[in-house]
Amino acid sequence: MDKYSRATIREFMSPSNIGSIDDPSGTGHITDNADSVELTLFINVDAAGHITDAKYRVSGCTALIATLSVLSKELPGKAIEEALTIDMPYLSSLLEGLPESKWRCAGYAVEALHLAIEDYRSKTP
Amino acid sequence: MERIVYMDNAATTPVDPLVVEEMKPFFTEQFANPMTYMHSSMGDVAYTAVENARQRVAALIGSHPEQVIFTSGGTEADNWVLKGTLERATRERLHKPGHLVTTEFEHHAILHSALALQRQGYDVTFVKVGHEGIVDPDDVRRAMRPTTVLVSVMHANNEIGTIQPIAEIARVAHEHGALMHTDAVQTTAHIPVDVDALGVDFLSISAHKFNGPKGVGILFVRDHGALYPFIDGGGQEWGLRGSTHNVPGIVGLGKAAQLGRERLPGELKRLTGLRDMLLDKLSSRIDGIAVNGDMKQRVPQNLNIRIDGIDNEPLLLAMNEAALIAAGGSACTALETVPSHVLTSIGCSLTEAKASIRLSFGYFTTEQDIEYAADVIPGLVRFLRAMA
Ligand SMILES: Cc1ncc(COP(=O)(O)O)c(C=O)c1O
Repeated sequence: MDKYSRATIREFMSPSNIGSIDDPSGTGHITDNADSVELTLFINVDAAGHITDAKYRVSGCTALIATLSVLSKELPGKAIEEALTIDMPYLSSLLEGLPESKWRCAGYAVEALHLAIEDYRSKTP
Repeated sequence: MERIVYMDNAATTPVDPLVVEEMKPFFTEQFANPMTYMHSSMGDVAYTAVENARQRVAALIGSHPEQVIFTSGGTEADNWVLKGTLERATRERLHKPGHLVTTEFEHHAILHSALALQRQGYDVTFVKVGHEGIVDPDDVRRAMRPTTVLVSVMHANNEIGTIQPIAEIARVAHEHGALMHTDAVQTTAHIPVDVDALGVDFLSISAHKFNGPKGVGILFVRDHGALYPFIDGGGQEWGLRGSTHNVPGIVGLGKAAQLGRERLPGELKRLTGLRDMLLDKLSSRIDGIAVNGDMKQRVPQNLNIRIDGIDNEPLLLAMNEAALIAAGGSACTALETVPSHVLTSIGCSLTEAKASIRLSFGYFTTEQDIEYAADVIPGLVRFLRAMA
């Protein structure tokens, strides 16, 4: 049966790193009315190309909130190339298995990260 | 176990302990097949129990006992009346595909039966519903055709609880020579349901929505000749519905009907009061809250609200963590992420539909439960809004 793990519920009930970053290195914004998702992910990247901080604002499903929370804890310290390898199977494993029916919605977290990195790259010479 | 505050009575209700007591002997000592009553004293006990239950249900809806046909629940009753009437009229009277009139916001037991009929070549019209969640009898009138066999409109909607003008719609159906069915699963034992006052030819009931057991219901059939059987079998129920009677279930339905009839006036008042109290408290504690569906033409046990900027899925999960159980769409769509067809049918946007929750009450709902919900929900709404 497709249901949320306790780890997912715990993460969702006390999510880490909610908020925004003033003048971030990169921002990824997603709006999807059909899923009623609104999400902004902010990242800071240092001169060496390592992510130092990640924060987000979100309105969406439980899976997305929990996924953003674990993602935001994974990112600091990672090089951009490394961050780009983070995918749903990995994030799902951090949550002790997300129901597959929720992967599409939770996937907005990865999409927002890619947009934030794109934004960072476009701003960085 | 921690106490759970259960506000999902529109999905199902707990079986009343008095109902359980009445059912018990029919699992063990009184296990006989009622159809053996002619030669078996044990069979006679079971038969008498089934007929007693039939009388109790008939008393609840103001029908003759022989118009009460036991089924496996609301879904079977709904399937049966749609398919049984359309097939019969088409084969024996029209000699061309009959036409069904129903509405966009019916329960899936009706909607999916109607779609199945459509696939088989029957004509179906799905009448639109107004913003208040009430069907306009004139819209039904406009949908009528010379080939219309049946009009099926639910008595109250299972998600928003709005009560439909069934008597008026039945008049329209009859003026056009059609039969009238109403799915009264959400109204029976909650508001007065009288088959003559409603003017219906068929009416569906399910026991588990009023503290009876799951898997048992009835179709009220005014005239046995108006439809083909759906479950063919050994001639039970005047040949209209085969299968050995679910004796414990039927006995439980009968007891629940008797209790429902006795409790109805008091419960109607009590639950209306509790429901309005909860809405008042929530409205004063949460900004951007609105009720889905008319508040006056509404069953007492239903409150369906939408809360700006909220997704119901995390809200319901957070409420569940606080031991408060409610619902988003109906129980049948709980596994899908699609927004409720009922809410979109009354003009809610997808976002509004996903921002909506249904709180539904029952005989075991207390004022304390209401206070608890009024305390817990605003905090969880703040928690979710703070993330956005
Ligand atoms: C309006 C309505 N019709 C039909 C049904 C189906 O009844 P049952 O669960 O007995 O099949 C339900 C509830 O599930 C309902 O709310």
